[in-house]
Amino acid sequence: MYYYIFDIKKFGKKSQVDTLKEYLAELGITGEFTYINSAQTAEDLAVLGLKKGYSTIVGVGSDDVANSISNVLIGQKEAMGLIPIGASPELEELIGVTGWKEAAESLRFRRIKDIFLGQTATGTHFLTNIYLDIKNTFEVTLEFKDYMVTAKARSLMISNFNPGVKKIGSEFLDVILESEIENKGGLISNLKNIFGSKEVKANYSIIRARSLRIFTKKPLPLLLYGKTIAKTPQLVECSDDKLRLIVSKNSPAEE
Amino acid sequence: MEHTQADTIIGADVNVKGNLKNKGSIQINGTVEGEIRSEEDITVGESASVTGPVVAKNILISGKVNGTIEATEKLEIDPTGVVQGDIKTKILIVREGANFNGTTSMAGGDTKVAHVVPTVESEAAKEDDDKKDPSKAGFWDKNKK
Repeated sequence: MYYYIFDIKKFGKKSQVDTLKEYLAELGITGEFTYINSAQTAEDLAVLGLKKGYSTIVGVGSDDVANSISNVLIGQKEAMGLIPIGASPELEELIGVTGWKEAAESLRFRRIKDIFLGQTATGTHFLTNIYLDIKNTFEVTLEFKDYMVTAKARSLMISNFNPGVKKIGSEFLDVILESEIENKGGLISNLKNIFGSKEVKANYSIIRARSLRIFTKKPLPLLLYGKTIAKTPQLVECSDDKLRLIVSKNSPAEE
Repeated sequence: MEHTQADTIIGADVNVKGNLKNKGSIQINGTVEGEIRSEEDITVGESASVTGPVVAKNILISGKVNGTIEATEKLEIDPTGVVQGDIKTKILIVREGANFNGTTSMAGGDTKVAHVVPTVESEAAKEDDDKKDPSKAGFWDKNKK
């Protein structure tokens, strides 16, 4: 049986919720429906779902709901399903669907992939990307296992999954740093690309690592889908445990 | 060396301190102080500056390297490349305009020098070395002493 956690705020009208429920019934995957409210967060409801003995907990909403439920289900035998509503394209790409109908259909087949997640020292997990909230150029130091990287950063993204970045191993996070170039005289024009077929600009760095520490002169927020989840200095790493995620056959997620 | 997508890229005006080791290929466009080691290819781009050893299967130098270089297969030094240090490789390609100061050790059974073009800098450096070596000092030099 499926245990659904709805983020009702992501739906424009109540009738849309009813339409989705009817479709789930048509597919034969109806279950218990719960709703995030001021008294119960997505995490609280996911814990409740596990206590009730459900084997599949489904988040219905955007990235923050998905990440909140993953905080509870990581390392558990129970599977997590997703029906993205107002979610990022990366999240839809991760589970290999376009739109809620396809996502609902993929739940029926219950194709499970065990995937690693990214996590911060504050205990927040993420399925796709987090990024540093940099409004202007900011000096950043990244400490990896055997080396340190310093740069004046324009942007910094730490990605567990991003369709634009070629993954070299599921147990690695991809760190993408856009730095400010002071001397533009020596740029290389023939760089091959990290983001598909387009050329990579010389001020982009990509580093693969299991963990890193981020330092900035002043504390800066780390954002997950626009929401602050931690501040620098911060340890970000790949999780030791895996999440059992229901995906479609088109999902590029690596186990 | 064939240009392929690098697994790790260090961008321009990015500074790295420490030992950067990777199974996959590495592209350096910034500054590195420390060892760079890859089981595949390393490219030191035109804007890059490396102080420390560089070890990989294939290595392409278009920027500056101050340290030893060991390529188990092939080492190429581009016209913009500046190498200050000893090199060890099976196949060596030094293009016209490259600046190389150091010793070369060619290892392996099928060793071959694909293409070496001596440069003004390397010839001048050789002459300087000869002048420093008393046994190679010419008549004029000996008389000058």
